[in-house]
Amino acid sequence: MRKYFPTQEIGSLKKPSWLLNVVKSPDVSKKDKSKARDEAALLNIKTLEDLGLDIVYDGEVRRVEMYEEPVRYVKGFEFSGRVRSWDNKYYNKARVTGEVGYKENFHGEEFKFIKENAKREIKVPVTGAYTLADWSYNEYYKSKEDLVLVLAKKVVRPLVQDLVKQGAKIIQIDEPAATTHPSEMEIFRESINESVRGVNAKIVVHACFSGNDYEALAPQMLEIRAQQYTLEFANRDTWNLGVNEKERKGYHVLKLFKEYGFKGEIGIGVTDVHVDKIETPRLIRDRIIYSAKALGDPSKIYVNPDCGLRTRTRTVAFEKLKAMVEGATMARVAIST
Amino acid sequence: MISSYTVGIYPRSEELIEATRKIAKNLPLLYLKEKKKYIAMQEKAKLGYICDPLLDWDDIYRPFSKLKSVKLEALNRIYETNTFYRRLSFVGPLNDAGNIIKSNLAISLLPKNRAVCVPDPYTFADAHFSKNYKKDEFPKTIAKMLRREINNLARSGFQIIQLLAPSIAYNPKVDFGLVYDTLAIITRGLKAKTILHLYFGDVSDKIEKLLELPVSGLGFDITSTPTSSIKKHSFAGKSLAVGLINSYNTKLEDSQESISKLNSIISNTKPHETYVTTNFDLQYLPKDFAAKKILRLGEIARGVKSA
Repeated sequence: MRKYFPTQEIGSLKKPSWLLNVVKSPDVSKKDKSKARDEAALLNIKTLEDLGLDIVYDGEVRRVEMYEEPVRYVKGFEFSGRVRSWDNKYYNKARVTGEVGYKENFHGEEFKFIKENAKREIKVPVTGAYTLADWSYNEYYKSKEDLVLVLAKKVVRPLVQDLVKQGAKIIQIDEPAATTHPSEMEIFRESINESVRGVNAKIVVHACFSGNDYEALAPQMLEIRAQQYTLEFANRDTWNLGVNEKERKGYHVLKLFKEYGFKGEIGIGVTDVHVDKIETPRLIRDRIIYSAKALGDPSKIYVNPDCGLRTRTRTVAFEKLKAMVEGATMARVAIST
Repeated sequence: MISSYTVGIYPRSEELIEATRKIAKNLPLLYLKEKKKYIAMQEKAKLGYICDPLLDWDDIYRPFSKLKSVKLEALNRIYETNTFYRRLSFVGPLNDAGNIIKSNLAISLLPKNRAVCVPDPYTFADAHFSKNYKKDEFPKTIAKMLRREINNLARSGFQIIQLLAPSIAYNPKVDFGLVYDTLAIITRGLKAKTILHLYFGDVSDKIEKLLELPVSGLGFDITSTPTSSIKKHSFAGKSLAVGLINSYNTKLEDSQESISKLNSIISNTKPHETYVTTNFDLQYLPKDFAAKKILRLGEIARGVKSA
């Protein structure tokens, strides 16, 4: 039997500054840049394994960013310029100006390297069709739904299939945009189902928190072909210890998932990725114990940060992951006694 | 020909984006230089009313963070977009308000035919919070604060006050009594025209109530409220602003198609006066695309028959 509360990360980590200096330098050869990326990936893999995570990746160290990276390799997109995320933070937004299509397995080299170097289980993050469509300007397809479904069938599905052929066993489809439009959850559901149709791998869906606290997602979860959802809880929970409703208010929605009859796994976010304050292992333990009770089955609980940790410094990110692993260990002990 | 204007914050150029990241010494000058260019662009497009592009505003509420009793809080998503603003918490009296918006505009660069945007009080209170005020007291306090701001703007020659009201459009349940009261605080006895701009939600079922509000006119985002819904109503005695230029898609509007659409809306609704506008802030587009849309806005306005 698998141990309770396996630990995993969600995806991105801040890139080491030495790597950025190397890859941005016009004086460094392509070969040396590639070598630096390998070294950074290896460093991340080993660090995550040494911290004790059960499921790892490379901190997405080779990827520019979760939207821009895939869009670079998909037919039919043209970058239009930068658009504000907040304050002076911007992202490069693309237009869909023609028929979209898959060109190549753009995560192939990355996965091959991780497979050769990781000792633990690997979970491959892939940006989902709904988010790619939502974050782009659609100038070509009649509707957003048309664009989402064509991306699911013609881009995400072949990519996932290629990764599975290479040996990937767990695929995480990243969909931060999914819950931002509660009225479009049916489009989102079809997008995931089309993306993974015929795929023989464990499918994890990562969706960020939005204003309606996953209430729009809950009824769809049973019909989406995913075995696990990695979701964001910690950033609206209290920092008080305890396993009661009052202390664990960020995790109440788990009961709603149970009420809807959801029988799959939940990767619960136990660390807030938006603050530097480090959660204590005891707080993480309590969040896990509450979640196990709320969902009604401890074997369905996985433990992860709320989201990727790339907005935190590497020191903070690793401290948070260390506390997370310790908290999971404490929860295992608590639940077995 | 009908009148025209843009709504909200404009996109920064690549040069300006980089400068804001480096906290460059010449940043104020760069802002001014770029504001001048955008104002010239609006004039070239022959827009009816010219706006400050608000390039130095990080979000539509941010200038109010300069008030003594206001604190900057966490990031919050702007409705269903991929852009965020900072929530503000109001912890005390707002005695120092009145000159916040004006002091954050490049008024000397604007011609006489000028318009300015101000969040509507219901939306403002919905987007921020205060533990110091009771439920309805907060929006009314905000309305009183905004009235002082608007008085100052009107005295400075702003002829149109665009009241940005996405929360009224987005929220399924809206207390229209409260909306009425807060807008009355803002508009009673005001000489400038007030247009309530409704976007980020379909207001088809709210138009009857919206027409009763004490504002000079209503502005609709026709990507979220279908024109068929607008056409069902008479706008006699009211102004109508049609948010036809889509700030959420790079695809340029077809002039002839847009002109026909506007002619049809005008003949069905018979408004007191009509404006064609952007549906909301151009900041959701990169600069080059925003520029094309500004010119197209003017072209469309010139092609429409007035009522």
